[in-house]
Amino acid sequence: MSTDLQDAVAATLPGAKRQSATRTRLWGWLLLPPAAWMIVFFVSSILIVVALSFGTVNANGRPAFGTSLANYQALMNTTYLTVFIRSLVYSVTTVVLCMFIGYPVAYAIALHGGKYKNALIAALVIPFFASYLIRMYAWSTLLSDEGLVNQALHTVGFTDGVQFLNTPGAVVAGLVYGFVVFMILPIYASLERMDTALIEAGKDLYHSPLRTFFAVTVPATRAGVLGGVLLVFLPALGDFVSAQLLGGPSTFMIGNLIQQQFFESQNQPLGSALTVVLMLALLVFMVFYLRATQRQNRET
Amino acid sequence: MTNSNSAQEPTVRRRDFLRGSLGLGAAAALAGCGFSGDTPAPAASTSPSGSAAPSESPAAKAVIDGDLVYFNWAEYIEPTVLEGFKKEYGVKVIETNYDTYPGMLAKMSSGNQYDVVLPGARFVEQLRNQNMIQRIDKAQLKNANQSFGWGSYFDNPWYDPNSDYSIPFSMYTTGIAYRKDKITTMTGSWADLWNEEGKGHIYVLDEADEAIGMAALLLGLDVNTANPDDLAKIKDKLISQKPYLRAYSTDDINNLAGGNAWIHQEWSGDFLNFINYTAEDPKIWEYIAPKEGMPVNSDAWVIPANAPHPGTALVFLDYLLRPENIIKNIEYLGYPLLAQGGEATYAKMVEGRPSLAIDLKNIDDTKVYRNHTPADTAARDTVWTEVKAS
Repeated sequence: MSTDLQDAVAATLPGAKRQSATRTRLWGWLLLPPAAWMIVFFVSSILIVVALSFGTVNANGRPAFGTSLANYQALMNTTYLTVFIRSLVYSVTTVVLCMFIGYPVAYAIALHGGKYKNALIAALVIPFFASYLIRMYAWSTLLSDEGLVNQALHTVGFTDGVQFLNTPGAVVAGLVYGFVVFMILPIYASLERMDTALIEAGKDLYHSPLRTFFAVTVPATRAGVLGGVLLVFLPALGDFVSAQLLGGPSTFMIGNLIQQQFFESQNQPLGSALTVVLMLALLVFMVFYLRATQRQNRET
Repeated sequence: MTNSNSAQEPTVRRRDFLRGSLGLGAAAALAGCGFSGDTPAPAASTSPSGSAAPSESPAAKAVIDGDLVYFNWAEYIEPTVLEGFKKEYGVKVIETNYDTYPGMLAKMSSGNQYDVVLPGARFVEQLRNQNMIQRIDKAQLKNANQSFGWGSYFDNPWYDPNSDYSIPFSMYTTGIAYRKDKITTMTGSWADLWNEEGKGHIYVLDEADEAIGMAALLLGLDVNTANPDDLAKIKDKLISQKPYLRAYSTDDINNLAGGNAWIHQEWSGDFLNFINYTAEDPKIWEYIAPKEGMPVNSDAWVIPANAPHPGTALVFLDYLLRPENIIKNIEYLGYPLLAQGGEATYAKMVEGRPSLAIDLKNIDDTKVYRNHTPADTAARDTVWTEVKAS
């Protein structure tokens, strides 16, 4: 996905010098509304969050800006570390599962979908038009102890039923279901772009299908996979809905922690400090991703 | 089938709704709505309109002075009551909803103007302390005697002395719901939330006050304690409960309906709603009023200091206090309203279930969740976070 963007940017660069000044200015003007939008609604809210993370709460539960480090000091508590590690384990598991589900799906559609390709992609994407929250509720209803799945199991002999809900597995399953499409689409895009003649060439050189796959297809789609990993990992790490609706007593994630500070505890400054720490952690992964893709660009 | 039933019923589960809408609320907050502007200096928040005189402005008269700007939980009023008000007085009702009390407070503080708002008791106190609500002249309300002057606790409630700034609306207790067909060993105590028979099917409400309050009552402590020793005991007690729990959740009606919950710390109004509208077999469900005592909480209507149409607001509050409207609202909401005209209606609704009965004259206000100092709030919150994170 990002290579798409980089390609597009790169494509404009060599031509930029040749473009007339008016055309460049037009681009500048066209950039203004989106830039203003981002500054007003995105950059400013991040700045407010950062500023508020040094703030305090007054006696009436209202947040006030300040220069206190107390919120960050409060985070020096093993409890928060436990939650952070748990979130990390859940989201890495989610990414790995998404990869194992997403790659074959994308592969099948891109290389064997034929004229149904677009219809198949639409069929994948359309369910995701429904709110994530609603879909999580649907899961919790389906998987409940007396829900449809357990009723079906009951009729085929599992009279005791199975407890799906309120387990770490349910939380990860919710995350996988919620974000798998973000893995499929970038991989699909890179497979689509790949020259299938390369696969033929691999076979002509007496590679087994498996060896062809790992020697040719996987490297050619690495950017797509990396993009998918990032697009799944980032929202999964910050998610709170899955743990809220499908989780048990010990599946609290960092997203739940932040959500609790803002909506229940009336402690927006502490919530902001948590958000800043989470953003910094995500930034580390983002930098890692950018470096990985840059390396790939240099190689190709 | 249970679940399709519950999906169709337009029942009010404001607490359900509260959790259900978290995603939307979070999205809105993260987008900066109602958030970026809610941190002015305290002085600026007292009269955001700039034109109003400081809080003690002369009390408004109950005369229609414009459309009603109405701010409440979604669906937390009987629909024909609201329609009737529009028709009778020929005004529009401009409705906005909130899904958490902190969210409500944030919107009010950021300068949004409303005529009537329904905060929880704790938040009435916060609003009053911040001079954000106006005094309500009871002489302007023809039906004031429904709420006041007959010996109700709410003549002089803890959150608003003499109810000078608010009109009490509904209330609830927190107890335990359980299934008689699954559990036979209930003891009528909060210790039932550690019941061996129910292991893996027990739910505790996902709210700091409710969880800490429950453990405090069981240990013989004050539900509002912020004493470090008390909190340490409460924390240990709550952690000892985790092996028994299915989850912490406020999605109580779905938990009961889906068959996951056999024992559930439960709000009285939601329980009544559940057995009246959703439960396939209401007879298997029982509500326990634990012997250590039950938390009692309530909400009340207020008129913000910067209300654009305080006259219409007063007419509306008076209209809500008409006996026929009180009855309609109780039947629809399943929460007892804090008015004389409604006592009999509610009593009839809970006939045969004495654990749900509420006597408005004898409320033990030591079991009401209070506001705390920021340090105490943080101490309680840390305990709750540590329990949930462990």
